[in-house]
Amino acid sequence: MANLAIDSIKERTFDAIVIGSGASGSWAAKEFTEKGLKTLLLERGRNVEHVKDYPTTNLYPYEFEHRLEMPYEDKQKNPIANRCYNYREDSKHFFVKDDEHPYIQVKDFDWIRGYQVGGKSLLWARQVQRWSDFDFEGPARDGFSVDWPIRYKDIAPWYSYVERFVGVSGNNDGIPELPDGEHLPAFPLNAVEDHFSKSVAKHYKNRHVISARCAHLSKPNPIHIEQGRVQCQNRVLCQRGCPFGGYYSANAVTIPWAQKTGNLTLRPHSVVHSILYDETKGKATGVKVIDANTKEEMEFFAKVIFVNASALNTNLILLNSISNRFPQGLGNDNGLMGKYVAFHNYTATIGAEYDGLLQYRTDGRNPAGGGYIPRFRNVYRQETDFLRGWAAGFGAGRAEIRDTSGVGSALKEGMLNAKLGTWRVHSHMMAETIPKEENFVSLDADQKDAWGIPLLRISIDYDENDRKMRQDYYEQMTEMYEKAGFTNIQTRDDNRRPGNDIHEMGGVRMGHDPKTSLLNKWHQLHACQNVFVTDGACMTSTSTQNPTLTYMAFTARAANYAIDEMKKGNL
Amino acid sequence: MNRRTALRTFLYIAGGTLVLPACFRESGKASIDLTNLSISEDDEHLLAEVTETLIPATDTPGGKELLLHLFVLKMVDDCHTPEEQKQFTKGLSAFSVWSKQELGTGFTIADANSRTELLGKIGESTDEDLKQFFSITKRRTTQGYLNSQYVMTNLVKYELVPGRYNGYAPA
Repeated sequence: MANLAIDSIKERTFDAIVIGSGASGSWAAKEFTEKGLKTLLLERGRNVEHVKDYPTTNLYPYEFEHRLEMPYEDKQKNPIANRCYNYREDSKHFFVKDDEHPYIQVKDFDWIRGYQVGGKSLLWARQVQRWSDFDFEGPARDGFSVDWPIRYKDIAPWYSYVERFVGVSGNNDGIPELPDGEHLPAFPLNAVEDHFSKSVAKHYKNRHVISARCAHLSKPNPIHIEQGRVQCQNRVLCQRGCPFGGYYSANAVTIPWAQKTGNLTLRPHSVVHSILYDETKGKATGVKVIDANTKEEMEFFAKVIFVNASALNTNLILLNSISNRFPQGLGNDNGLMGKYVAFHNYTATIGAEYDGLLQYRTDGRNPAGGGYIPRFRNVYRQETDFLRGWAAGFGAGRAEIRDTSGVGSALKEGMLNAKLGTWRVHSHMMAETIPKEENFVSLDADQKDAWGIPLLRISIDYDENDRKMRQDYYEQMTEMYEKAGFTNIQTRDDNRRPGNDIHEMGGVRMGHDPKTSLLNKWHQLHACQNVFVTDGACMTSTSTQNPTLTYMAFTARAANYAIDEMKKGNL
Repeated sequence: MNRRTALRTFLYIAGGTLVLPACFRESGKASIDLTNLSISEDDEHLLAEVTETLIPATDTPGGKELLLHLFVLKMVDDCHTPEEQKQFTKGLSAFSVWSKQELGTGFTIADANSRTELLGKIGESTDEDLKQFFSITKRRTTQGYLNSQYVMTNLVKYELVPGRYNGYAPA
């Protein structure tokens, strides 16, 4: 019996455990397995194998029962998921349904989740931009949150490392606040996007409209072919999973790469209850897992644990990791864990028309979606009555207008003989929000989920700074539109709830000082150094960039640090 | 014959049988399973003629052949609110009565010109249910038409794999 027990523990012991198999977790798994570490990758949802488990990927619109529309009953049952732009008949199987995984909305919050192998990397918008020191120095300069313990020079080589592997299409635009990268050719702007770009460059110093940088293979390099991927085919049906591997997902790229090493154990249906802490050793020894289906409890052990469960779930797991040493959650000596959660403010859009350049139209589809306007507000100095600023997406296109006013053969002809409409332009705001102590998540004292894990309470809201920024976005964009000759300019409040941006961040922030932060500059919990957090939970501030590229770069850097420290015997 | 062509032919044949007169089917119910709507075989027959009037067969198929009435029923049954479903079925009955009054004969046996003319006059009706029925039917019929396999493969081709993007294509 004794031997059996020892064998069993041996089988459940790894060099490294990674919790969560999305973009950041799968990057940790890739780094560890590539460098020879036996790695356990835990995922609470089901397995999704590249191509094989993309059931809708090659369906035509008429093959969907409701032509991609969500039925009324589903909308009633899942109001949260249905408010996500990406939740449709072709992608619904990659989203968490509201009633399956409840949480407590102290304030309105749409928590959009993808519980499966690959996580939300199957569903993301694939927009990737680097941070610069204008972002990392933000909190210190403007006096909010705490100073980031790292700067651009620390992460720049890791951005390059990640970009080369995942494939990023974009130009090197030479903009200090949006550093250049290791790019594949950009998806170019169209005629009117170009026109706007030139107009903005002519009228404003330090404002730019560039080709959006996206994690698509415009022109694959040998490394991408080696991953089994080919050139993006401009389907723009990415939310179904891409059979070409045209964009980066954990499923298409990092997980199969880690599997090829022979060092990966991928365990789906594994709900992490908590991280195990050994007081005598002064470090974490493993994780307690509940099998999602059988509810069986089990333990796995490793020298190093990476928590990449997605920002709020990472908070949940750490807060639920209670021991004598850490009664408020693992590493939570200062009581700040779960606090200073922030997100991106997407509550404004602006549309207009342009009646020039009618000799052109677009043909095919642009996976990058068009243009990107990096933050220009308060970059070099504070110049407004609000803190920080906003970036924006920008796109132009001409609709095919089908006349449906008639009846009979007139209707038929009207529909079949489309007329090309004038150019329509559209922009949406992506604004930084300021992390605050009163925007927090915590564990409910009584209510538990089906696996016996406390429900998460979420209390997050917009503030005055967010509203001022929205006004500024309208004013500045309207002026820029007018200068470009756009007409019929329409601003529109997008009254989405916090969380609907799917960029929730923070709660386990990085910082120099253990008194005011949870993680050090290597993403280790100050008070439990073999536990690393490299997903959205680690964010000290949010800036305006789409965050996933930064999580992947953070993860690669931290994983390689952990490997070095293990080699030195320090972990 | 490839799979798609075979399937299409099958659907056409199926479509033909679905609009046979009432005496050929014993149940008197709609030909597809509906969860929320209560639709008789006569209702279905009438709706088929409405979609055919909206989108008549010419040298290309029309509403009936493309089974657009069944698409309308499916969408109303699954995607509309209970209130809209009520209005739809009430409006369908109201349309049956109103069209008989206006035409002096049943809509399904009236000639194509008077049917087309009648649908053009629905705006004059003061019956809100009838108007709502027509508005839903027209919206779903045009949607079903443009998103039908026939139209998407023959008339307004849908590209699953464009493989290109040109931002300066000639208009």
